[in-house]
Amino acid sequence: MAKHSTSAQAKVGEGGLGSFSAFYSHIAGQRAPRASSRNLSRGPIWWPQLLPAILLVIYGTVVIYSASLTIPEASFPRHLMGVAMGAVGGFLIWRYDYRALANMSKVLLVVDCVLMLLPSVPGLSHNALGMTGWIKIPIIGMTFQPSEIAKLVTIYLMASLGAEYNGKIESLADYAKLCGMLLVPFVLIMTQPDLGTGLIILVTGAAIIICSGAKRLWVIITISFIVVGAALIVTTSMTEGMPHLLKQYQLNRLIVFMDPSVDPTGDGYNLQQAKIAVGSGGLIGKGFGNATQAASGFLPEAHTDFVFALLAEEFGFLGSVVLLGLFGVLIFTTVALAQRIEAPFGKLVLVGVATMWSFQLLQNVGMCIGIMPITGIPLPFVSFGSSSMLAQMTAVGMVQSVWNHRPKAG
Amino acid sequence: MSPIVAIIIVLAVLLAALVIAFLLVGRGESRFKFDIGGSAPTAAGGSDMSTEGGFKSRLLGLDVFAGSIIVVLLARLWSMQLISSNDYSNQAESNRTRKISVGAPRGRILDRNGKELVNNRPSLTVVAKPDVAEDAVELKVLANLIGMPEMAVKRKVSSSTESAQSMRTVAVDVSRRVVAYIGEHPYVFSDVSVEERTQRNYPQGNLASHVLGYVGTVNSDQLENEDEAEDKITYESGDIVGQAGIEMQYESVLQGVKGEQTVYVDADGNVLSYSSSVEAQSGSDIVLTIDSAIQKAAEDSLNGHIQRLRDSGKGECYGGAAIAMDVTNGEIIAMASAPTYSPSVFVGGVSYDDWQNLSSEGSWNPLINRAVSGQYPSASTIKPLSTFAALNYGIANVDSAYDCAGYWTGFGEGFGQYCWDHNGHGHIDLENGITFSCDVVFYEIGKGFYYSSRQDGLQDTYRKWGLGSSEGIDLPSEASGRVPDAKWKWNYFTSSDDQARSWQGGDLTNLAIGQGDLLVTPLQMLCVYSGLANNGEVWRPHLLKGVKSSLGGGAVVEYKNSVLRSVKEKDEYVDIVHKGLSGVIYRESAEQASHFTNLSVQVAGKTGSAETSHDDPTGWFIAYAPADNPKYVVASVVENGGFGSEGAMLVVRDILGAIYNEPDDSTATASGSQ
Repeated sequence: MAKHSTSAQAKVGEGGLGSFSAFYSHIAGQRAPRASSRNLSRGPIWWPQLLPAILLVIYGTVVIYSASLTIPEASFPRHLMGVAMGAVGGFLIWRYDYRALANMSKVLLVVDCVLMLLPSVPGLSHNALGMTGWIKIPIIGMTFQPSEIAKLVTIYLMASLGAEYNGKIESLADYAKLCGMLLVPFVLIMTQPDLGTGLIILVTGAAIIICSGAKRLWVIITISFIVVGAALIVTTSMTEGMPHLLKQYQLNRLIVFMDPSVDPTGDGYNLQQAKIAVGSGGLIGKGFGNATQAASGFLPEAHTDFVFALLAEEFGFLGSVVLLGLFGVLIFTTVALAQRIEAPFGKLVLVGVATMWSFQLLQNVGMCIGIMPITGIPLPFVSFGSSSMLAQMTAVGMVQSVWNHRPKAG
Repeated sequence: MSPIVAIIIVLAVLLAALVIAFLLVGRGESRFKFDIGGSAPTAAGGSDMSTEGGFKSRLLGLDVFAGSIIVVLLARLWSMQLISSNDYSNQAESNRTRKISVGAPRGRILDRNGKELVNNRPSLTVVAKPDVAEDAVELKVLANLIGMPEMAVKRKVSSSTESAQSMRTVAVDVSRRVVAYIGEHPYVFSDVSVEERTQRNYPQGNLASHVLGYVGTVNSDQLENEDEAEDKITYESGDIVGQAGIEMQYESVLQGVKGEQTVYVDADGNVLSYSSSVEAQSGSDIVLTIDSAIQKAAEDSLNGHIQRLRDSGKGECYGGAAIAMDVTNGEIIAMASAPTYSPSVFVGGVSYDDWQNLSSEGSWNPLINRAVSGQYPSASTIKPLSTFAALNYGIANVDSAYDCAGYWTGFGEGFGQYCWDHNGHGHIDLENGITFSCDVVFYEIGKGFYYSSRQDGLQDTYRKWGLGSSEGIDLPSEASGRVPDAKWKWNYFTSSDDQARSWQGGDLTNLAIGQGDLLVTPLQMLCVYSGLANNGEVWRPHLLKGVKSSLGGGAVVEYKNSVLRSVKEKDEYVDIVHKGLSGVIYRESAEQASHFTNLSVQVAGKTGSAETSHDDPTGWFIAYAPADNPKYVVASVVENGGFGSEGAMLVVRDILGAIYNEPDDSTATASGSQ
């Protein structure tokens, strides 16, 4: 590992901008490999993907450090501990040959269910923010959100199931079986209830099913059912005398998203403050530690759910572009690797991880700028919280594991 | 649009977008084949879709998915952070800054010689944050400490018109013991502190209290009306404003300009740091035309004579007024009203008991300034104007004379009226009619008007001299009096029969002698006599001499004197009146004369005794001096104190004595002349 990292750094250092583009020529996928990229393509680490991930973690660490200056809950040492845990998790999964999981669907399903149900075990459950998705690990006394890891297990689970069809799902029964399997973790997470994580699992799983070769018509019909069902749930939840499947606060968030001037529970205020924070950042931002919206307490959850607003306030549009750019590179390199990997299982794992990042980015940033409803979804690599950091860095390890265990060209 | 509809529309659009994206990607990446991964045979190439090809296009779809997310987010961020950035910056700034106003001291009120009538004194004031209302323990301890009901403290701190960071005034002029207790218990009183503020102070005690008025916290009406006011003073609840007298009249001058401290706050409203501040600008000083020495003499004399008359059996003698004015410019030298009150009871909020006491009938309404708001029949003091009316309208001429037998039957035996002197005045002309206040002379004038074509001649003359309308003195709540006429009477006595409501000869004979339904204020009669003294020229009565600015080293802006009205009467008519008024002083009675022969200046004046529903008449006396070149006019009214010569005349004499520094040493008692 050490050998490869030095050679990669040497290449980058030598060539400046020119070799930077060469460094990322893999994104094009099928282009004829040049010498430099072939060099980089060797070895156990897929640097074009790992580097933006590392930069994102560093960026997030800087943002959380500035948050820790004014927000007592944002403990910087705890953040660093989360990063360390994530590094360990990522390292272990990178070393692990993921291919062994391809035939372990049943085990994965059991693990997934256990993780989802952990918070309901008496003695472990730990209530936070009105949700029951947290556990308190005995002895250490640390709180942890198992659903963050369950997201990753679900990706392996759905990929292992989808890979069996080798890119073509011939029968409707198979398609239904895949969809039904996805519903298991989704329903379990919704009982906690955690709509945000549920949506991530749903979208990630759906992407894997689609890429597994589901027929377009089926997918469209399924999505239509989901849309109509969601509309029904929302409508009945708003109507007196009908079953209320959505909690009142979830409904309120939807209403606020539609019309921020309505503010039943303060969500409209939160959204307004987040938008003020983002907008007042301007081109270059207010500078490190000068985020008045966050520092004076106007921006709620400035170190967790609304961390992007804090980032955008401190570092402005340029800082936002850097963040989106790093995510772009991270996601595109992951998809690019999926193009290169032959085995369907590996492809589908990468699809799941890339979709998860894309959707979390859309949901978290979109929420701060008013184009998505408010849900408690953390911004990967940036939001304060060890569970999220462990899961996201492990996800990087999952991508690196696919690279590490690719069939080596002879 | 209802949220449900909106949600359904958004979801439908999302669905459509997904379908379109799906179709486009499929077409672009599989060489125009409709199917990307299904089992349908392919149109192009005739071979099966390879697994690898299907994956490829789907992964490209994922790229498009991720790419569009980033593009959409970037577009939105571009609009928010680059295009609308200023709006958001302003919102962020207004989020974290608050403006706290800093009170400015009120201007002082000085007399014409610069003597302080009202100034400010430091006062230890307990102030509290609004949070105290939520802390039951702190609220209770604080209420007990300063001896106020808990609810009252709560109401004071919860006032919502001030900004959330402003400290609310809870109690003023607290004792050192309270200050010490609060200082020693910082943990109990975390939201309470003691500030040194200023309060109104009255170095001369109750002197001129009716002129000065009093201050109080701004009330809701005043807060609502402030938008309409021309001056740009913005009041907050708890501000001290003038509520009566000069304090109210010149509120905009006395009230300073509040300072403003900008502070940075956090989301809970806690002050984090201080930013820029604008210094408070204290109000300007008001210089009055009042001479405090003469004012004091007027008040002492008025109150003294009222007390004396009450002690001598006139049990309802409590109220009265006295005014002295410079006839050459309208400056009010002294203005007294009885009973009086202490303006200091209003400092820091008047107590309920005090207010009840001050505003009740039983205590004869001490807050009313009777000099401008008191309305009485003018009684005989109107006779000079009746004389002018008679002469001008041809009811009488300069040589007219009448026979007074003490009882007058000009409208027939059934409508007989007495002259005040039942013995009669004999054959008497207009001049002596004024001097001896012969009612019969004026009954004849009233009768003359009743049978003339100009029935309104008396009223027109009275109105020409300013009766029936306010004089526009610079005090709030000036009354305008009433000049009765046929129309007024008909509309006023609606419950009476037509006969009683109609205008009759008796109304005019009453009007000619100033009794009945005529109502005038002391200030109006003062202005009438200032015109009589000053060839018909009446200067606008005023109390403001100048404004001493708090800026520019105390520059004084002088009040601009102006002529209020000019009434031209023929010289020969004026001569009759002047002689008549001089006669009142020196010829009517020896006792009366004895009070004025000891003055070095000649005086002219008139007594009056208004008949009211009370047992004793309300006495008037109005005089000007020197009679040959008038400088001062002085008027006095004593409610229910008997004839004018019994009380009011002596008050006027005392004021003239103070002006000329020649006290009255005559002890002659009044004989009861009107």
